[in-house]
Amino acid sequence: MAGASSRRTVSENVSDAEYIEIQRFLHHEAALLDRRQFGEWLRVLTEDVRYRVAVYVMRDGTLGNVDHAIIDEDIVGLRSRVEQVSNPRLTRAENPAPLTRRFISNVQAARLDTHGYAVESNVLIYRTKTAVPQGGVYVGERRDVLVRLDGTLRIARRDVRLDHEIVFDGAISAIF
Amino acid sequence: MTWSEAEKMRTRTSSRRGRGWVDTARGLVSREVFVSDEVYRLELERIFARTWVFLAHDSEIPEPGDYVARVLGDAPVIVLRDDGGAVRALLNSCRHRGAKICRAAAGKVRKLVCPYHGWTYERDGRLSTTGFDRHFPKDTDFSRMGLVRVARLGSYKGLIFGCWDASAPDLEDYIGDFRWYLDAFFARSPGGMQALAPPHRWRVKANWKIGALNFIGDSQHIPTTHTGPLTLDPVRLARTGVIKAAENSFQVITREGHGCTLTYLAPGLADEAYQTHCRELEPYYVQTLDADRRALLHHLRVAVGTVFPNLSFIETQVAPAEKAVIIRLWQPLGGTEMEVLSWVLAEREASEHYKESVLAKGFRNFGAAGVFEQDDMEIWASVTSSSANRVALQFPYSFQTSLPYADKPVADYKWPGRAFQPPEIEVVQFEFMRHWDRLVSANG
Repeated sequence: MAGASSRRTVSENVSDAEYIEIQRFLHHEAALLDRRQFGEWLRVLTEDVRYRVAVYVMRDGTLGNVDHAIIDEDIVGLRSRVEQVSNPRLTRAENPAPLTRRFISNVQAARLDTHGYAVESNVLIYRTKTAVPQGGVYVGERRDVLVRLDGTLRIARRDVRLDHEIVFDGAISAIF
Repeated sequence: MTWSEAEKMRTRTSSRRGRGWVDTARGLVSREVFVSDEVYRLELERIFARTWVFLAHDSEIPEPGDYVARVLGDAPVIVLRDDGGAVRALLNSCRHRGAKICRAAAGKVRKLVCPYHGWTYERDGRLSTTGFDRHFPKDTDFSRMGLVRVARLGSYKGLIFGCWDASAPDLEDYIGDFRWYLDAFFARSPGGMQALAPPHRWRVKANWKIGALNFIGDSQHIPTTHTGPLTLDPVRLARTGVIKAAENSFQVITREGHGCTLTYLAPGLADEAYQTHCRELEPYYVQTLDADRRALLHHLRVAVGTVFPNLSFIETQVAPAEKAVIIRLWQPLGGTEMEVLSWVLAEREASEHYKESVLAKGFRNFGAAGVFEQDDMEIWASVTSSSANRVALQFPYSFQTSLPYADKPVADYKWPGRAFQPPEIEVVQFEFMRHWDRLVSANG
């Protein structure tokens, strides 16, 4: 799997108003996921969205760390995942529903030549479920491409890189 | 079972050397076996120190100096390719003061250099210099100070195994008749199979044997645990025709506790509509496999299996004419926790497009965020949290759907091992546990 570019996005060519709009969008999106409003969440994605979550494989020496996909979905696959975890009859992992609290920070944005923004953010998700009452934390970095459709921002691409090498708590059912 | 019966069982099951953990006559297994650190320590001594245990796939370390870091029993080992192209397995701990030599999960090294004081080893494990050789006593035999070698190392069709017991039988004898089945999944093209990416790794608070049993043949859990993916696309689509399967499906156990469960499409379905394997790969199967093994693969919808103790595999249709082969290592981390490693494999000859597709779909189902795995792991962890208590421990687990079938193997079965039908019974799982019991409860 090719890793995302290591280029850092610098918020230099977006106006304060744009920056605030992007931040507001990310906070809104996080709230939808925390409240398990998955149907609403799917609507902030574009139809051609690519949604990818990766962990690291630590490599020795000069080869660096490998960015190793654990989720790689288009809208069809995402809808299926969402349907699985939101219908209590179809999920064991998310029934009872886990409690999640997302913290999105360190937002940087740059306007793209096309009609959108490259946006980076840090994500921290505290997640409590019956099997793990003490909770657990997923931490990572997100690189999104946001586009404006009918006047509102949508996610066209999301690359999540979790700062984990080993998933610590069973297999992941969460959405980042 | 009444409380007093349970008490009797408990008296039996608490005997120090483990006798009675598996009740053959009644098809029961003590819960202690799945939640006890004491049992885990016995397993380390009587299973993981003595049997062959899977370490890596050959394709993970293609070139000299390539290594992966794994665990054999509870000991960290480096599996690497030496200058001559041979695979080596070495204890990942410096002979000087114990520091870990290879600290990443994978990498490439010219020499094995200890980061602590600089002791340096060749790729075959021999000590090349301590850096302070001149200060050692004159009669020091540096040739005996290489990294500790795993006593036996063997490879079968790309599957690399190690064993800490120098007197163990050869790997081929250990796998025995089960080789016949492994060939159909791991040696069905001239180039053999290839791991398409590093393994996904996740931890779960569950005993390693739950995974081994799940994959040797636990067809009963599929409709309940996996209602979600079986109901939803794209998995639902890939399963077309499987509902009618059964009468020609079966499970198999061979010596040494290896086994598998093979689920076929119902007979009589038109070839074209229910093509399971990739057409482009079939010429390789014809070239490599005999007629019997091709028959084994024909219309095979899903195969699961376990090589005792903790290597499993699943071959499953992920799309029309697309099959993912996944291998699994259930790495124990104690009595109540394991690390799961999951690889997706494909035939080396397959097209890049096919490999990409199988990799993505294989992990989508059976990776660290797999739509099947997420539900399995939740339930397995609950097995631990609900069983590891004073009351629950009195009541053994049931494997009773093995009993009516255990002495009725398929009469005219022509392939190796003993086969049982229907596929959803627990014979093979219970045979795995009986073999486990023979090793763990043996004297000495």
